[in-house]
Amino acid sequence: MSEEYINEPMLEMFLFESTQLIEQLEQSILDSDKEKCYTKTAINEIFRIMHTIKGSSAMMMFSEISGLAHSIEDLFYYIREENPQNIDCSALSDLILEGIDFIKIELEKIKNKDSADGKATTLIGTIKEFLYGLQQANNYKNIDKTKQKVEESKKQYYISQDKVITTVYKNAFKATIYFEDGCEMENIRAYTIIHNLNDITKEIYHIPEDIIEDEESVDIIKRDGFIVYLKSDLSYEKMFEFFKQTIFLKELELTQLENEDEFKQFLSEEPSEIQKKDYQIPKEQGKIKTNVTQSISQQSIISVNVSKLDKLMDLVGEMVIAEAMVIQNPDLRGLELDNFQKAAVQLSKITSEIQDMVMSVRMVPLSATFHKMNRIVRDMCKKLGKEVELKIIGEETEVDKNIIEHISDPLMHLVRNAIDHGFESVKNRELKGKSKSGTLTLEAKNSGSDVLIIVKDDGKGLNKEQILKKARENDLLYKNAEDMSDREIYNLILLPGFSTKEKVSEFSGRGVGMDVVSKNIETIGGTLSIESALDKGTMITLKIPLTLAIIDGMNIKVGNSTYTIPTISIRESFRPKEKDIIIDPDNNEMIMVRGQCYPILRIHEIYKVDTKVTNFTEGIIIMVEQDDKLLCIFADELIGQQQVVVKALPEYIRNFKKIKGIAGCTLLGDGRISLILDIGGLIDKR
Amino acid sequence: MKKVLIVDDAQFMRLAIRNILEKNQFEVAGEAANGIEAIQKYKELKPDIVTMDLTMPEMTGIEALKAIMEYDRGAKVVVVSALGQEVQIKEAVINGARSFIVKPIKEEHLVNTLNKILDINKSI
Repeated sequence: MSEEYINEPMLEMFLFESTQLIEQLEQSILDSDKEKCYTKTAINEIFRIMHTIKGSSAMMMFSEISGLAHSIEDLFYYIREENPQNIDCSALSDLILEGIDFIKIELEKIKNKDSADGKATTLIGTIKEFLYGLQQANNYKNIDKTKQKVEESKKQYYISQDKVITTVYKNAFKATIYFEDGCEMENIRAYTIIHNLNDITKEIYHIPEDIIEDEESVDIIKRDGFIVYLKSDLSYEKMFEFFKQTIFLKELELTQLENEDEFKQFLSEEPSEIQKKDYQIPKEQGKIKTNVTQSISQQSIISVNVSKLDKLMDLVGEMVIAEAMVIQNPDLRGLELDNFQKAAVQLSKITSEIQDMVMSVRMVPLSATFHKMNRIVRDMCKKLGKEVELKIIGEETEVDKNIIEHISDPLMHLVRNAIDHGFESVKNRELKGKSKSGTLTLEAKNSGSDVLIIVKDDGKGLNKEQILKKARENDLLYKNAEDMSDREIYNLILLPGFSTKEKVSEFSGRGVGMDVVSKNIETIGGTLSIESALDKGTMITLKIPLTLAIIDGMNIKVGNSTYTIPTISIRESFRPKEKDIIIDPDNNEMIMVRGQCYPILRIHEIYKVDTKVTNFTEGIIIMVEQDDKLLCIFADELIGQQQVVVKALPEYIRNFKKIKGIAGCTLLGDGRISLILDIGGLIDKR
Repeated sequence: MKKVLIVDDAQFMRLAIRNILEKNQFEVAGEAANGIEAIQKYKELKPDIVTMDLTMPEMTGIEALKAIMEYDRGAKVVVVSALGQEVQIKEAVINGARSFIVKPIKEEHLVNTLNKILDINKSI
């Protein structure tokens, strides 16, 4: 980067914008590929995107990207202008997708501060060949055109239509102009001069004569300068001033001619050929009248660095804690403070509004993540000879930016798995009487404070026998196969060291199994469930929390400790009566509520907390629910509801002590720590 | 300080031009991402000079240039374009563009061109 004005924000902007454009481009190509034809709009869009990337990457001195973008731009320019017939759409898509992949990899390298050292030479060659092939196939038309052009432009002077030769100008001049080195497009710079001169005089001749069509004119102007003969009423000084204003002017020689001898060389031509040069300018395509409001609304969007949003989220978290520290300050205990209470309520209201706002700012629709799968489906189907259609539902569903990053890979893995293992070959599908092409559905929807992401295929379904056999071989069976529910059998595939496919295939068998997928989902507090029916298909549901950072919690007291239960899991709380308590033969305590029996979990027992409240009638029961399973938690008392900021458990507790049933911890208003109960974990524990 | 309106559909390019201009004592009056915005902004901000990209969605630079010239005959518009767009640049010149700069933009090219155009005394 030799230019001084190129700085870090520019690099960031370059990466940001190019990545976006490339994604948009990929989508456009996949859509066109599906339709088996490239529409005018698509061609225009691809051309424009490549044009932009070419420009930006050239400025950032990424010459390989720029070169590649240039070659694709040329190709699409040809397609746009010449509208050639018989384009091999599939081959074209493959070629451009290859280009996209190259640029993606290079951008990734740049992002990671590696040098973008990929070479695009071969690919550029292939693209040029493709273009050449197209030109060959549509040859006749083209040659005609060029010929026509040559004839048209043989001998023409830039003389205005209404020019009447009889106009007599007083003075004759000869100007020789040299442009600055490296100013580019000297011929058009020369054209600009002629165009401006046209306001002053109508009698102009110049060498080289053809500055528009003839590409050599650039070299001639560079070498010999641009020579203009003209007649005008203006004085030498005025003319000199005019030429002096030429932009990128390096050298100017202006002489006033005494006689008109030098004009004769131009006038020897037949007058009939003197005509206004009618430059053919291809009409810009498409009528340009789109709604204005849209462009205005676009402008009201700004892009913000994610790290700033993370910081903002952290700060809001701190603010929530600080708010609790003020409002629940121990110094206030027992005081009657009406005005303070009012102010406190106002503060809480605003804090929670800010929090909602910050949260919503961080929300990103899943569409980009979902649409990425199009490419995977296309590539894999091509390689494996399968036919699968991807159906996307609810792509507008939004989740936290951080969560999107965590589910992108697992989702990709699930899609790969489905296509590789889930769908049968076209032949097998026909044998089974199914439609030739399979359908893979990606669906997202909101459900309470969670988002459900469903990956559903209509393939062969999971084979229970095979799963059990495999599990037995790998020593993964933890109980009798006969006692296992379908769900438990399916869940076997989530265990580390399980893989149903014998051979490792290019796509799904990269040593990453379903266990990694489920691990990834668990790290963001999500769950994964599998449903399947033989020959009907498999459905994998990911349940993902909307956001990680702040939850509504109910604080409860056990002895001197405080615990927090996510409010969303709480069904009800009540003071139990002695007569409702049941003890089963294994000495497990149960409680009867409205004719139903629920297990009881004493927090003070499992976490070995000293408390005076051990008698059910003195404490309180909180009924919680997770995944349709219910549990009653016994605690000393409820303290109150509060928004809490979820902080990760220290490594020591999480990995070394391996304490179950705790999702994280949080800071309370008085500075003490409260442990957040993991309801799912507690239910399993029971 | 002379006010400049930057028109380019690529945010990156706008930033690049802005960086050069601000470093060289120009005031960036505003930015527009397509032709329609360019016309609106021109009327609203009345810049001394405009840098105009040609290849843009919604409305191309040429269309915007025509509209701006119609609105203000003395408008100073400099086309910022890439190699290979000779035909469009020519059309831009016919329609009143004062000059053009070729991408990738060189700092001194941009600055000198703008200064020169702003200096030109339109009396001749």
